[in-house]
Amino acid sequence: MSYAYLFKYIIIGDTGVGKSCLLLQFTDKRFQPVHDLTIGVEFGARMITIDGKQIKLQIWDTAGQEAFRSITRSYYRGAAGALLVYDITRRDTFNHLTTWLEDARQHSNSNMVIMLIGNKSDLESRREVKKEEGEVFAREHGLIFMETSAKTAANVEEAFINTAKEIYEKIQEGVFDINNEANGIKIGPQHSPTSPSSPSGGPGSSPGSGCC
Amino acid sequence: MFRSRSWFGGGLWKPKNPHSLEHLKYLYNVLSKNQTVNESNRSLLVETLRSIAEILIWGDQNDSSVFDFFLEKNMLSFFLKIMRQKCGSYVCVQLLQTLNILFENIRNETSLYYLLSNNHVNSIIEHKFDFSDEEVMAYYISFLKTLSLKLNKHTIHFFYNEHTNDFPLYTECIKFFNNPESMVRIAVRTLTLNVYRVDDKSMQKFIRDKTAAPYFSNLVWFIGNHVLELDGCIRENSEHEARSRLADLVAEHLDHLHYLNDILLLEIDELNQVLTDHLLHRLLIPLYVASLDKNFVVTDRKQPPKVSSILALFLLSQVFLIVYHSPLVRMLASILIQENEGVFSLKRSSSGTSTNTLEACSDNQILFAIDQTENTTPAQSTSSSSLAPPALDSHDTLSVNNVKILSQRPFLCAIFDSLECAENDYAALFSICLLEALKHNKGIHVELLNSLFHDTTTVLEDGQFLRVYNEPLVDKLITIISQTVKPDSKVRIVTLTLAVNLLQKIVVTENGEGESFLKDQHLALIEGAREENILLLQNYYKCDEMFLELFEDEYLDMTAAKPISVEHLMMDSNLLLPPAGSPLSGIAFDKRLPCGEAERSRRSMRVYFILRKLSLKLRKESEKYLPLTNTQTCVHIDDNLDLTNSDLLACTVITRDSVKTRRFLVIDIFQFILVEPSQKRMGWGVVKFVGFLQDIEVMGDQHDSRCLHITVKSSPTQQRTRTPILAAKFMFDDHIRCMAAKQRLVKGRQKARERKLHMIGKLLDQIRSSPSPPQNIRRMQRRAMNRGDRPLYVPISKALPGLAMVVNDGSRNEKGRRKSREASPAVQNQVHDEEIPLGSIKGNSARKSISSSSQASDLNGPSSNSSTSTQPSQTTKLTLNISSEDAQKTTSSVSNGKKVSSNKDDVTTPHHETSFISDVSEAGSSNSNNVFEEANQVTKSADVTPQHSSHNNGPSPSNSVFVPKVKKKGAIETV
Repeated sequence: MSYAYLFKYIIIGDTGVGKSCLLLQFTDKRFQPVHDLTIGVEFGARMITIDGKQIKLQIWDTAGQEAFRSITRSYYRGAAGALLVYDITRRDTFNHLTTWLEDARQHSNSNMVIMLIGNKSDLESRREVKKEEGEVFAREHGLIFMETSAKTAANVEEAFINTAKEIYEKIQEGVFDINNEANGIKIGPQHSPTSPSSPSGGPGSSPGSGCC
Repeated sequence: MFRSRSWFGGGLWKPKNPHSLEHLKYLYNVLSKNQTVNESNRSLLVETLRSIAEILIWGDQNDSSVFDFFLEKNMLSFFLKIMRQKCGSYVCVQLLQTLNILFENIRNETSLYYLLSNNHVNSIIEHKFDFSDEEVMAYYISFLKTLSLKLNKHTIHFFYNEHTNDFPLYTECIKFFNNPESMVRIAVRTLTLNVYRVDDKSMQKFIRDKTAAPYFSNLVWFIGNHVLELDGCIRENSEHEARSRLADLVAEHLDHLHYLNDILLLEIDELNQVLTDHLLHRLLIPLYVASLDKNFVVTDRKQPPKVSSILALFLLSQVFLIVYHSPLVRMLASILIQENEGVFSLKRSSSGTSTNTLEACSDNQILFAIDQTENTTPAQSTSSSSLAPPALDSHDTLSVNNVKILSQRPFLCAIFDSLECAENDYAALFSICLLEALKHNKGIHVELLNSLFHDTTTVLEDGQFLRVYNEPLVDKLITIISQTVKPDSKVRIVTLTLAVNLLQKIVVTENGEGESFLKDQHLALIEGAREENILLLQNYYKCDEMFLELFEDEYLDMTAAKPISVEHLMMDSNLLLPPAGSPLSGIAFDKRLPCGEAERSRRSMRVYFILRKLSLKLRKESEKYLPLTNTQTCVHIDDNLDLTNSDLLACTVITRDSVKTRRFLVIDIFQFILVEPSQKRMGWGVVKFVGFLQDIEVMGDQHDSRCLHITVKSSPTQQRTRTPILAAKFMFDDHIRCMAAKQRLVKGRQKARERKLHMIGKLLDQIRSSPSPPQNIRRMQRRAMNRGDRPLYVPISKALPGLAMVVNDGSRNEKGRRKSREASPAVQNQVHDEEIPLGSIKGNSARKSISSSSQASDLNGPSSNSSTSTQPSQTTKLTLNISSEDAQKTTSSVSNGKKVSSNKDDVTTPHHETSFISDVSEAGSSNSNNVFEEANQVTKSADVTPQHSSHNNGPSPSNSVFVPKVKKKGAIETV
């Protein structure tokens, strides 16, 4: 499972906007959307291909950790990309975007790519936030924008991959310091022969204990 | 994909509906048939595990029998069996993800309890996965984190076993607290916090007794290592790569502090005690505080490492900015403020053993030298308790002002010494930040802080408070200010700003109106520095073509920018490198030294604004002259203007998208106005567009002599980016009118700029008087009124008392004043030919020089020349002329003189003086009010003799210069 780059993403936004569902939908396509099942996950990884290069995406949902300042701070800092999600059927989740964005901009490194996502586009009848409003907000704040549905999987793939493309372009332009892993970008084992493919690991990784 | 393999498991038919009890039964069958993992069934197992997660969640949401079956068949045990074989990361990851999904999505409490009840989960937690695989590691730690989010008073007992004193979820997790992967470290921290906050006494006791000492000592040890690395990074310095590493290390240190603070904020007393103890005695005192004192040589042969004193100041500032936990910050602050090196000898006796522990722990064997650390903990707490009481009690008996005592307090002494910035302000900046951070920390005793900043407040006999401040400290701060204004100063704007802020906080009372109790000799020093800066600025005023733009821009920059926050500064790793002097460094202007003449000019302006603000504040005056353009007195869109007898140019505005609009162009003294005739009243116009004359660009049209291309840029007061707010083709009735318009616009632009420049000149000229140049400009305006220009338009309040009055009433005086600026012939004439209006200005400065003659022994001796230096002579006779002419002006000129002299003799009573000034200015404004009325009456006569004006020598009422003349040229268009 070697890769050229590993990008770390975080997903942010109010509770209940479908962050963990988006995450699961993207990282595991085998979970086919069904109407009577809401299912999500807080972490996932998936390999994609950009420009012929294997890129691994690691996505961390930060839900439930807002209570601790140190945690949100660190999460933002360690990510190369962020998906800022709101629910098109709930106006308040859209109204809170500014606060989320301020937080993100304050704590993250300035190069972090942020994508704005209006989720639950399948619920057209209950829509409270127009697509144009999302577009305007994104334009004003320099974000990429997309409406998705974790239920129908519409645009989910694109949302994550477009964000990755943008990060990739920034790497090509030399904007990101890829040698600094704190930026949320890691060079794959094949790219840096000096570092062994297995990191020194935590103290628990005593060689003999591995059973898997 | 499942369908293709559906026969493999055998036994049961795969049901069509994937979400059903039948399907789970089928999957159970698959699992029981494939208990041994091998190459051929790996994919099948993975898909089975995934499907199980899916069905269970579906069951949780739709059909409870699904879960019953899962528990009944004890299916979790299969999970354990699988992972105990060499199943490879492929299967492992799926297993962990299945568990993740399970615990993340279960809503039914009882289902959760069932899942946890048979201890399988703890076995899974304790299982040694192959953590060298980053994917396994990530899924594993996410699993633990997910579990920790489910912790509460009830569920905690499934994880923490009181009888066996076992808490694998926690103990396994903290092994990874220093994992190289940042996301893993964050997950560990999240988990620990989630654990701590569960209110369960026995669990908390376990944490404290069995894990706290080793965990915290490791944590603290790693923070210390980080700091040493940071120090090394600063020493190597400067390369771009190192800079991003540096930024990262600084952010990392902040992360640590925030994390520790998050723990402290949970207010678990026993835990906090241990943590505070470790932090103080293994990190903050031996490393941070010890590094402050450059002279202190460690005699111990095991020399504990130290960092540069600059870094120490920076780190301590961060600590005080973030941590408010009283026992910790009190102790640390009192050591900084009152203790001497003795604090180390006390400490080291106890830390001998703890060093061993640290070394023991530094191996990957983290869990845990419990016995060893348990031994050291009591020793430490005794040492800390023996240290604490004297530190806390002694502060009121000590006086910081006493230099002798200061010398016995090396840390405080070191902080004060760092304020020295003769060579550079590298350390001074951080020293101020530290003082500022101390001042704001709510966890520190007020008395202790008072002993640092104020000395004790003494009550005098008459019941009044005598406010005393720490003079050596204020001396140092004022020295920074004085050094800032030196020509080749090494003090950055940011340092000056902070020094000024801190100074104000020390010497200005916080309650009420903010009374300053700064001593007069200190005030005099500040004023001296201010004047020195003005002298410097005057040079740029004379030489720099862009002075006006820069001046307004800088002012805006300063007012629009968020106030500098120490918190933000202490996140900026760039400040840790020696002060940069080039914009190429990518560092913001105020955080580096100026580069080149233009930037030095900018810097002087900035310093000017800062010191002006300070001076006003100390004198309790309000700013009356900045910004140069008072937007409130300007004409705004949708205003109604009485344009009877005004110069109006009819034109058609053609925008780029070929929209044509008929408008009338009005050229005010500062503004470019487009109006459309009012529907309601004859002779009135409604403003449709305004821009500032100084921001316009005019170009003729090559093909059509009736047309002009006009671009109006947004003024810096409106927007930071100066984009055009109007770019259009203006078509006039014929080429004559077009030429006239062009001429008026070009001249208007030039004169608007000159006027403003002149206003700046006035501000800079006011060396000896108070920071406001009050009398002069105001008087000048008043006189201009008398001269009686015909106003461009009559303010509404004048023309229509009543309805419109309400709108404009407040601004009436302002408008009058503005009109008077328009009328003030000073600017244009000064620059061009006529000497008369120059006289009117010079009259002021000359009068000032008269008054200055009464203060030959002026405090600011050398600078007294400078007021005349900016403008050529030829003034005196005019002065006489003026002052005899206008009695009221003479009074104020006398008062001006008086004021200045009081400034000189009577420095001891600045408040006194202030009130005097405000009296005068009050009188002044009411006068100008009257004058305004007069001015309007005189208007007509001015109209009659427009030509005369330029030949008139006195500041007579007919001395109106600009508008009437133009009016003659620019053909008259009435509405």
